[in-house]
Amino acid sequence: MKRSYRAITTVGVAAAFAISMTACSTTASTGSSTTATAKKDISIAFVMGAESDPFFQAMKVGAEDEAKAEGVKLIWQGDPAKYSAETQIPIVDAVLAQQPTGLVLIPTDPKALQASVAKATAAGIPVVNVDTHVGDLKDVVSFITGDNADGGAKAADALATQIGYKTGGSYKVVVGLTSATATTNVSRLDGFKAQVAAKYPGVEIVDVAYSESNPETAATNVSNWLTKYPDLNGIFAIDGTNASGAAAALESKGLSGKIGLVGYDAYPDNVAKIKSGIFTALVAQDPAAEARLAIKTLVEFINTGKTATEHEVVIPNVVLDSKTSDADFAKYTYVK
Amino acid sequence: MTNSNQTTTRKPGIPAEQKPVPLALTARISTLASNQSTILIGVMVLLIVVFSVLEPKFFSALTASNILTDWGSVVLIAVGQTFVVISGGIDLSVGAIIGLSGVVSAWTMANVLKVDQTVSGSDASGPLFIGTLVSVGVGLLVGLTNAFLINKLRIVPFIATLSTMGAALGLSVIISSGQPIGSANNFDLIAAMDPKTNPLSWALIVVIVVVTIAGLFLHKARFGLYTYAIGSNTFAARGAGINVERHLTLVYALSGALAGLAGMYVYLRLGAGSPSSGTGRELDAIAAVVIGGASLMGGIGRIWGTVLGALILFTVQSGLIMVGVAPDWKKVVVAILIAAAVAAQTLQSKNGRK
Repeated sequence: MKRSYRAITTVGVAAAFAISMTACSTTASTGSSTTATAKKDISIAFVMGAESDPFFQAMKVGAEDEAKAEGVKLIWQGDPAKYSAETQIPIVDAVLAQQPTGLVLIPTDPKALQASVAKATAAGIPVVNVDTHVGDLKDVVSFITGDNADGGAKAADALATQIGYKTGGSYKVVVGLTSATATTNVSRLDGFKAQVAAKYPGVEIVDVAYSESNPETAATNVSNWLTKYPDLNGIFAIDGTNASGAAAALESKGLSGKIGLVGYDAYPDNVAKIKSGIFTALVAQDPAAEARLAIKTLVEFINTGKTATEHEVVIPNVVLDSKTSDADFAKYTYVK
Repeated sequence: MTNSNQTTTRKPGIPAEQKPVPLALTARISTLASNQSTILIGVMVLLIVVFSVLEPKFFSALTASNILTDWGSVVLIAVGQTFVVISGGIDLSVGAIIGLSGVVSAWTMANVLKVDQTVSGSDASGPLFIGTLVSVGVGLLVGLTNAFLINKLRIVPFIATLSTMGAALGLSVIISSGQPIGSANNFDLIAAMDPKTNPLSWALIVVIVVVTIAGLFLHKARFGLYTYAIGSNTFAARGAGINVERHLTLVYALSGALAGLAGMYVYLRLGAGSPSSGTGRELDAIAAVVIGGASLMGGIGRIWGTVLGALILFTVQSGLIMVGVAPDWKKVVVAILIAAAVAAQTLQSKNGRK
């Protein structure tokens, strides 16, 4: 999972209803449905977390590419903005009613979506999990994910380099999170903390705060920290929203480049800010690769009854900084 | 504005016959003490004292700048919301308009005017001016759509603006592919003029001027009088010859346009148009309006109250971050404050004013 998109809770059910209506209208990009190589008519349903998240947009490009290459039909679905089980379950149900040959599912909740996986399997539809997984993986053909803890550790390394970490020194850093319930946030933070404890004992994480998925709130958090900690050394912005907000706060205070800023997610706008020196580094995942492997695995499994893909696959993160080659920038920048 | 002489002498909402009689000094003081704005200012002062004691760095121009910068976007939509709420309606679409107008404006600057992040400082003025027009235009369009749904299709404001909220959110995601669109920027417009002494920014001055004009419209002009009349009693307003539909169209258009302006403000702040940049802001606006003393039943509310309500909201937010309250507790504290503010008003209206 990428992040918890908490839409407006007080409007609750009605909002979820209205929004999932919109979801149903933004459907399916299709590859050519039949080619000479496909043994049967294969349609792969891909139910992701929240369409508004660039992470899933990048995933969509990978999925479309691979579906085209394999000559299978892709049914791309998910809520437009809200990362939640209560909006995702009806979407999975609707998709299963279309009787796809296979299902790629990014479960927004490990427990709540377990029944949906069982339902698909019972109907003879094999399931692959990407990014996040259901609690019990026995019904799942394969689980493909990025390594969030590793991403957090790499962020700690990048930040330590930027602030010129020396043994015996003392440094203050803050971490901008999205919410307490986003599991990716938690594992990235755990990875970051573990690496700091192991290699950079002089670094103190003085504060954390939530952006509630709003970049302006992320900017607010950072602005206040800059007032509270005039001697702040670095910021770890744990996802794209926090990265945008933190960058804006530093720019408006004229502090860009003076305080280390390591972000997450290679939005084109943020990648441009590595080049202009606002970001020290960005930890990028490779969601397109995850999606390609998921489609490939399912097609192989449907055609042959087995797959060469491991039951659990971890795709490592990459760190983009000013030394990254243009080719790598092009490869890892999330597409528009 | 033509009949301003007639309306200035009384508070809207009080029937014209009950012209206030001059009060004795003690009565004036007691009126002042139970006055809504006095209470809000008291709460503000109390918050500032408490936070400053807990964290001395809170009492600084830097903090004032942080609070006012946050206040700038929300006060714009909260002022629009004040008109809507006084008219007896609600506008849930304003948060989504911030995202949509920022994204469309950024898209226009990036793809039509062909400017990118490298265009900054005073070079960005032209594109940003056009961007502002686009942003306000987008807000206006959504506002007019709200009015159409409410007036012509007879959908209640809650559902009508909920639908446009969903549509605006969806469109902003489609246009932006869910990511921030970077274009021309000028952080000098939004940064404090002098961080050590003067927390005001050019963007804030524009906001303050707009809010002041809106306040005059509500409290000194026929436009405001009609708004109160419709919110107090639609049938009576209609009977008195007010074109209710036309007026509500203007009210929702105003709310949309102000949200569009807020979208540009947030764009300036982030240096990019981001679809999620208005997430949850409609609730902040409603909270500010309610803390400011407006009634969701319509007919009651003051711009000054809303202005203070929004200020209190962000003073609390900034104070909790500065003091270092665990983020998990922040929502609880804000919720308690809102409940307390509204309860205080209810009790006060029972005891104080008849």
